[in-house]
Amino acid sequence: MEYEAVIGLEIHLELNCATKMFCNCPNALADEPNINTCPICLWFPGSIPQFSEEALEKAVLTSLALNCEIQKLSAFDQKVYYYPDLPKGFQLSQYHRPLARNGWLDIRGMDGKTRRLRIRHIHMEEDVAKLVHEMDGKTPISLVDFNRAGVPLVEIVTEPDMRCPHDAMEFIRMLRMQVRHAGTAHCSMEAGTMRVDANISIRPLGSELMNTKVEVKNMNSIRHLGDAITYEMQRQETCLGVGEAIVLHTRLWDPEKHVTIPMRGKFAGPCIPDPSVPVIQLSDEQIGEIKSRLPEMPGDKVERFITQHGLSRDEAVMMSSERDLSEYFESVVKENVTPHLASHWVATQLHPLIRERGQNFADTPVTPARLAALICMLAGEEINTNSAKIVLSQLFERDDTPQAIVEMCGFRQVSDRDKLDELVDRILTENPSAVADFKNGQSKAMGFLIGKVMQASQGKANPKMVREILAKRLGC
Amino acid sequence: MSMDAFIYRNLTPPPDAGNTPLSGKRFTVQANMSVRDWPTEAGSVALKGYIAVEDSTVVSRLQKAGACLVGSTRMSELGFGIRNDSSAKAVVDGHADIALITDTMGEARMAAALAGVCGFKPSHGIVSRFGLFGLVPSMECIGIAARHPFDITAVLGAIAGYDENDYSMAVDGIPDPERVHGNNDYQGFAGFIREFLESLGEEENGIFRESLQWLEMNGWRVREVSLPDIALLPAVHNVIGSVEASSSGGKYDGVRYGYRAQGTKNWNEMYLKTREEAFGLLVKSYLMQGAYFQFENYRAFENACRIRNRLLRKTQQLLQEVAMLVFPTRRHAFPADMARNIKETYEAFPFTMLSNVTGQPAIHLSNTHGGNPLEPGVQLVGPLYGDFRLLGMAERLFVSRKGAD
Repeated sequence: MEYEAVIGLEIHLELNCATKMFCNCPNALADEPNINTCPICLWFPGSIPQFSEEALEKAVLTSLALNCEIQKLSAFDQKVYYYPDLPKGFQLSQYHRPLARNGWLDIRGMDGKTRRLRIRHIHMEEDVAKLVHEMDGKTPISLVDFNRAGVPLVEIVTEPDMRCPHDAMEFIRMLRMQVRHAGTAHCSMEAGTMRVDANISIRPLGSELMNTKVEVKNMNSIRHLGDAITYEMQRQETCLGVGEAIVLHTRLWDPEKHVTIPMRGKFAGPCIPDPSVPVIQLSDEQIGEIKSRLPEMPGDKVERFITQHGLSRDEAVMMSSERDLSEYFESVVKENVTPHLASHWVATQLHPLIRERGQNFADTPVTPARLAALICMLAGEEINTNSAKIVLSQLFERDDTPQAIVEMCGFRQVSDRDKLDELVDRILTENPSAVADFKNGQSKAMGFLIGKVMQASQGKANPKMVREILAKRLGC
Repeated sequence: MSMDAFIYRNLTPPPDAGNTPLSGKRFTVQANMSVRDWPTEAGSVALKGYIAVEDSTVVSRLQKAGACLVGSTRMSELGFGIRNDSSAKAVVDGHADIALITDTMGEARMAAALAGVCGFKPSHGIVSRFGLFGLVPSMECIGIAARHPFDITAVLGAIAGYDENDYSMAVDGIPDPERVHGNNDYQGFAGFIREFLESLGEEENGIFRESLQWLEMNGWRVREVSLPDIALLPAVHNVIGSVEASSSGGKYDGVRYGYRAQGTKNWNEMYLKTREEAFGLLVKSYLMQGAYFQFENYRAFENACRIRNRLLRKTQQLLQEVAMLVFPTRRHAFPADMARNIKETYEAFPFTMLSNVTGQPAIHLSNTHGGNPLEPGVQLVGPLYGDFRLLGMAERLFVSRKGAD
């Protein structure tokens, strides 16, 4: 029997706020445990949570970036469970009244067609502390680090609309792109600022059944998410094959062995409304005000790049994949570079170099103005492509302008007709056999001769003119 | 009464600054209101050895107003009930002018009634709870006991008002103390709830009728009003109170601070043993009861919340028809300071818990109409945020009471 999967995701995003969600402790990595703490996030008796406005705004922006409807009334609940990473016995989370509902993202399915995947709701919650288990000593001990306790999170709960690992991976890529554009979260699975749990069940292809699901956690990259789903689908298929029932439980992905292993579930109790955090009321005006701060989203940007800059769809998609990149691209275009050339150089030349150096578009020393100056020299045939590539790598190392580097390296292209005539004549005299080959119909010899001229000019000859002169001399 | 009213005494009280609203007034806190560097165990083994790290807002505001903190008093565990409570006694015995008492189901008023002084519970949300180690966040507040309502008004004037450390406070409702003096309309209709009267015994009924006559003698027109839902009040308080207690009491787990049981093999065992040993019978059974509603009967909790809203709406409506509602404060047959279990505790506080459920202000006036030692005193309840007006009415009545000293 052929099976398909039914997959829903639960995604936790750490919002990049300056402070924690209910106190003024920094929301930042720390060198030492329990440094970013105060009586509120340590939950000393007598302390009362102070809900962060920044967390609310960033959660609203995130929800808007994922096409959700913001709820005018939302509230925090106490999600009760006992575990040492949660020293007050409950987690503040929005259970009964989440911040946002009914979102969606469009992805490109395996068949190349667009598929709309629905988001059920998005709610805010605080992160819990981190447990550190020290097993080496005589008595194994568990330590609690509260630096992470109270860090602002949103949890995105999708509908079970995904049918294969590809759908889930594409959804996460699309989600990451949208949220990074909104600028509210870093969304790194590797760094743990985006944690994705997958609920997976399988059913015969074509069926509408909703079978018992299994939750899989602990994937630390998008690739592992796909691998874990693939593994879990096969595992469930094998179970069904031998007549074993699927039971509701949680499994942990083992990234080393590439398998999922069952884990003991945390006991989760009911949720009661929290009496200390005020109910969150948002007016249309407030929602509109926050919405106005949402930057242009990739989908809109693609369309604009096509109509305004005349890019092809592929180029436009490329140039809007990241917010920094698209802003960089547009800055280059503003410096009178043709959009097509700008897109080409940003995508094929600059991007790999930036990535190699661990920089990003916002902080690279190759500013849009410097790249634009370089591309303009290339477009004006002052230098050739090879030289331009060398100058680009020099721009990372030196503070000089591209013009200065071109002069210093003597890269200025030779477009002087007399000089080029002279050079071509010399090469033709030195390579009689190639000339003969060409005259006997071997057109490849033309390339050889152009190469020779370029070599003799130390790469500075204007290749277009060299070709013209050669063609004339060889009588074609 | 000896010095053992105190858990901790301030041996170095600051010199009187003079010229401040509460200059010369001495006050006590209960051992669940934090004073920096003071042991703050809230009457519970769960907080054994706990030293507060910050001053609670009420303490810093009273000190700023010139009042002198003389010590912390004995209390029932986490402020639930008044068994073992010594706060009002500290006032009666002259150790303090003002005692702050956690009021979760009427404790401040009840302790005052048993000691023969005045006790007040403010509107919920007008006095910061920052630094209060409580159990039922949506019902409890910091109550005030004093010999007369004038001190209560002065204390409330100093402690009421928005506090940026307590985001749960009412933002718009905080009343203006000046309104006491700007408004002379202290008389009019006083209402009593018929269904409550029906629940009184013959003797209690007779004494309460005396209270109503006394009000009439002082120019009030007494009216009967009806609040049929009142029969549901103990259940509403019990279900919501125990659920909140169970959830908010979760932090007393022995992980980060307070008492931790020894000799356990793993953390699940540590939780069980710690919490078994950390709480007394009353609080422990209350937490268990709350856990039951939370985990097994959540519908009951939802219903209780709905009835609570209805009770608030209805009493607020009644308080538009009458200026105040009148109740007895205590019952004779059910002494609150002897209550050992949940049943006895709820039986002892039937008339006071309404204002904890609705959040309205309430004051107990003692010895209102003669030196009858069995006299229950009288409890006056005002509309939400009508605190200073209620206190103004209480001041008038207090001055005109028989045998005023």
